[in-house]
Amino acid sequence: MSSTSRPAREFDHMTITISHYLTVSALLFVIGVFGIFLNRKNVIVILMSVELILLAVNLNFVAFSAHLEDLVGQVFALFVLTVAAAEAAIGLAILVVFYRNRGSIAVEDVSMMKG
Amino acid sequence: MSADFLSQGLALSIPELILAAGAMVLLMVGVFVPADRANATVTGLAVALLIAALGWMLFIGGRGEAFAGAFVQDGFAVFMKALTLIGSVVALAMSVGFARAEKFDRFEFPVLIVLATLGMLLMVSANSLLTLYMGLELQSLALYVVAAINRDSVRSTEAGLKYFVLGALSSGMMLYGISLIYGFTGHVGFAEIAAALTGGERSIGVLFGLVFLIAGLAFKISAVPFHMWTPDVYEGAPTPVTAFFAAAPKMAAMAMFVRVVMDAFAPVTADWRQIVVFIAIASMLLGAFAAIGQRNIKRLMAYSSIGHMGYALVGLAAGTLVGVKGVMLYMAIYLVMTLGTFAFILAMRRKDEGNVENIDDLAGLSATNPVMATVLTIMMFSLAGIPPLAGFWAKWYVFLAAIEAGLYPLAIIGVLASVVGAYYYLRIIKLMWFDESVGGFLPVAAELRLVMGVSGLFVLGYVLIGGPIAATAEAAARTLF
Amino acid sequence: MAVRLRHRALARWRPGREIGEAIMISGLGAAFFYLFAFVAVGSAFMVIAARNPVHSVLYLILTFFNAAALFLLTGAEFLAMILLVVYVGAVAVLFLFVVMMLDVDFASMKRGALEYAPIGAVVGIILAAELLIVLAGAAFDVEKPAQTALPAPNPVVRHNTAALGDILYTDYIFFFQIAGIVLLVAMIGAIVLTLRPQRAGVKRQNMSQQVARTPETAIDVVDVETGKGI
Repeated sequence: MSSTSRPAREFDHMTITISHYLTVSALLFVIGVFGIFLNRKNVIVILMSVELILLAVNLNFVAFSAHLEDLVGQVFALFVLTVAAAEAAIGLAILVVFYRNRGSIAVEDVSMMKG
Repeated sequence: MSADFLSQGLALSIPELILAAGAMVLLMVGVFVPADRANATVTGLAVALLIAALGWMLFIGGRGEAFAGAFVQDGFAVFMKALTLIGSVVALAMSVGFARAEKFDRFEFPVLIVLATLGMLLMVSANSLLTLYMGLELQSLALYVVAAINRDSVRSTEAGLKYFVLGALSSGMMLYGISLIYGFTGHVGFAEIAAALTGGERSIGVLFGLVFLIAGLAFKISAVPFHMWTPDVYEGAPTPVTAFFAAAPKMAAMAMFVRVVMDAFAPVTADWRQIVVFIAIASMLLGAFAAIGQRNIKRLMAYSSIGHMGYALVGLAAGTLVGVKGVMLYMAIYLVMTLGTFAFILAMRRKDEGNVENIDDLAGLSATNPVMATVLTIMMFSLAGIPPLAGFWAKWYVFLAAIEAGLYPLAIIGVLASVVGAYYYLRIIKLMWFDESVGGFLPVAAELRLVMGVSGLFVLGYVLIGGPIAATAEAAARTLF
Repeated sequence: MAVRLRHRALARWRPGREIGEAIMISGLGAAFFYLFAFVAVGSAFMVIAARNPVHSVLYLILTFFNAAALFLLTGAEFLAMILLVVYVGAVAVLFLFVVMMLDVDFASMKRGALEYAPIGAVVGIILAAELLIVLAGAAFDVEKPAQTALPAPNPVVRHNTAALGDILYTDYIFFFQIAGIVLLVAMIGAIVLTLRPQRAGVKRQNMSQQVARTPETAIDVVDVETGKGI
């Protein structure tokens, strides 16, 4: 433990700003959106992609909250977490009844095929 | 927190409190009433609850802001909330007969409708992005379940699943936009955002956030290019649920849309106007062209609603007092026409087939059910925008606002789209009056007859009663400026 | 070491910091930021790329853990905790449960998925590039707003969890109640959709019956003849 001060000095030139956080969250957001496109047949992975998008949003809120030194961002993130949990529960419930009826979880592509 | 803070907030939000507390009571009622009467009892009580909330809001409740400006009850909110509540009440009342006949009489259905309506009231009153998000999610979560409520039907559950997946994606996009707006302005309250945007140059981050936010809002009113869910969900969900989807949530989502852009983003009107103009044009055109060739009447109504949201957005694009008034009147008239048409669709029952949904089933209806045929003819003429019916006046208000704001191309495209759109409405009329009959429908239930009659009279007589309604809307719209 | 990191973060957290100073973390914390960020993004990618949904869920959990660590680095301790408790504890387990309950042939599902990969990749790369240019680039040199709605108190005086608690049950009581109703809707929804009327042969616990049992009803004394069995 006593040796931790030396590496700390080595890293001193590295600084993390709000931009770093926004970059990470933008990447998570894009991965989430991409996941929905990539796994159009597998609804479970789509639901997980939605969770990734919400995680990106929360990271944004928390980072902005620290940057602005304002608590609203954290309160917002807290409510997003709550709602996301409810959303996951409902999504999985709908998925389960769909599976019972169809015997598969592949939703036909949502398209304008029929008109 | 002072006691004033809480008591004032509670006093203003009594309609919401009635619904919230009432929904919990209804849950208990539903459990303890014998199963065979549960749905009818709870539906009746739910209708009473919604009417109580409406009555309190109109006649007793005050106006003002509460909860540190997060919740606002102004004239605009009252007008749009009244439309939302009327939509919920009528859709719920129309569901009773269908629920009995099609065996989906579950008492949770009215409870979920009440909770969804509660979410809608919060959306209309939202004066901060947090209220907007919470109200929207409360509404959406209830609607996802309601779409899939007929859980043994493949179509219903598939509709629920599609609606859920696309709805969750759109909420995620909207939230991402909200987080950017919060980060770049430092606020979530509409008034504070507007203050932060005034004067100083807007950063590109806020613009990005605005685009994501509008994408999410466009999904909720099913405007192009976020309309993909609408036809499938309208067709797949049980018909009373579709009637509800077409009526109440549209009112609340449009009210929310108007308030966000007119309040929070008033300083950057030029930026959002381009987006709204694009969405409006795309929706009007898609609604007009894609509806041609539809065979299922619920699917047809889905495309019709996409087109009508486009017309309503024309008024919003103007961004003026006249424009907002136009949007409000458009939504009011659209509500009446939609409910009337869905009352008709719910009445399309045959003895051995149950409810039918194909447009071909309407052939020769004038010979077998002349009254029904007349009502639908009035509705279709009105939806097409033929003068002097209500639908014409709705379009008149929004196009007038667009012309006053100098948006000539938008108004011209709108008129052209409504000419194309008139084709498929008139096709239905032709089918009813000039084609060979394929058999009549069963006698219509009393509540459906009432809805059809009232909406038919409203549409016919709008030219006489339109003045006071327009004046009310104008007074309500003024509170936004 | 964790304590040292925390104090490093706290030391900068002074009210009335100069506007324009945007550094949030420096020193060793920065190195940890990179570690957590890379693992989070990498495992997020594996969530959507893994062939087996069970693996996807596990990668999702890894992503959440690292995101929680990123929260912690900014001083949002309570949210980091909640992220783990709610997500890893409840949501991820729910996902695992459903994945295992539904007996789906996931191998066949993966076939044809690559059909959309090129268009998806194009959309994704464009979106990522735009977001990065706008957000990570020079765009964020706007001045911090002079005043914000709810200035965070100095964490040395009032720590994060207490500060959130101070406002959550007072200024934000309205939203707190709505959140409760949202959860009620989720509960009603899940029950209405998935609860089936009791099927024959399903064993359930009946609490009142259990409590009402007495030795007389529970024990049956039988005379068994030797060598016959019951």
